[in-house]
Amino acid sequence: MSTAPIELEQPEIADADPLRSADRPWTTVVWNDPVNLMSYVSYVFQTYFGYPRTRAEKLMMDVHQRGKAAVSTGSREEMERDVAAMHGYGLWATLQHD
Amino acid sequence: MSFTFRAGPNRTVQANLEAVEAELLAYLFGQLLDLLGPAEERASSADPLAIELGLADLAAEPEEVAPPDDPALARLFPDAYREDEQAAAEFRRFTEGELRAGKRGRAQCALESLPEDKGGRFDLDEEQAQCWLGTLNDLRLVLGSRFGLTDDGQEPGAELGQDDPLRAYVPAYHYLGYLQETLLEALPR
Repeated sequence: MSTAPIELEQPEIADADPLRSADRPWTTVVWNDPVNLMSYVSYVFQTYFGYPRTRAEKLMMDVHQRGKAAVSTGSREEMERDVAAMHGYGLWATLQHD
Repeated sequence: MSFTFRAGPNRTVQANLEAVEAELLAYLFGQLLDLLGPAEERASSADPLAIELGLADLAAEPEEVAPPDDPALARLFPDAYREDEQAAAEFRRFTEGELRAGKRGRAQCALESLPEDKGGRFDLDEEQAQCWLGTLNDLRLVLGSRFGLTDDGQEPGAELGQDDPLRAYVPAYHYLGYLQETLLEALPR
């Protein structure tokens, strides 16, 4: 039996690169849907992200009129947490690396 | 004065429902619980040796979950990545169980806070009010999906055939929207 060194997986190295994650952060995007109430979407942005009412309403209007809005940015791990939270509230959210 | 929800003392919400409303909501909350399915039993799958070796987390790593076939469940548990199927599957594997348990838990909490067999006035504490808010929204998402709503301009129920039994749920959909809107106004900020 040989004692071959454990091979590290490439993607983990790429994700751990601080320059890359600083240059190209991940984004949480909320998409428009015909069911969620405008007041509810605005409430979620205020309560979960702690955004002031004006910012929350601006983001909600972007979702409503443009079909989507970037609601938060950060590391992949942070954005996965935000997307999971949005799904918990019933908002249609995805994360992406622009 | 008549009200459905209004702000009460100490961050509570006061609710006031007719018996027929309470009965309808108990039925709908129960329907949502049925749709979400029974709670998973994960404890039995943990390997005792792995636990002894301190590797319990590794042993309890969730198995892969396929995206739901039912469009209503697919709306409650959407893909987190639009263009990366593999990343979406990984995300689902690690989050869907907890998400489903959360939705189930708050539907159960909303159901239990309803006065039994009758309407009238009752108080919701802060946690119960959040259970109601999330559950009302989940129910609207499920009904919206059943109605085939995809665009803002669509009239709920317009896509349904004349004899479609889902037509009976159209007034309930509007009622749930009214309740959610009213509850939002009564919630402490």
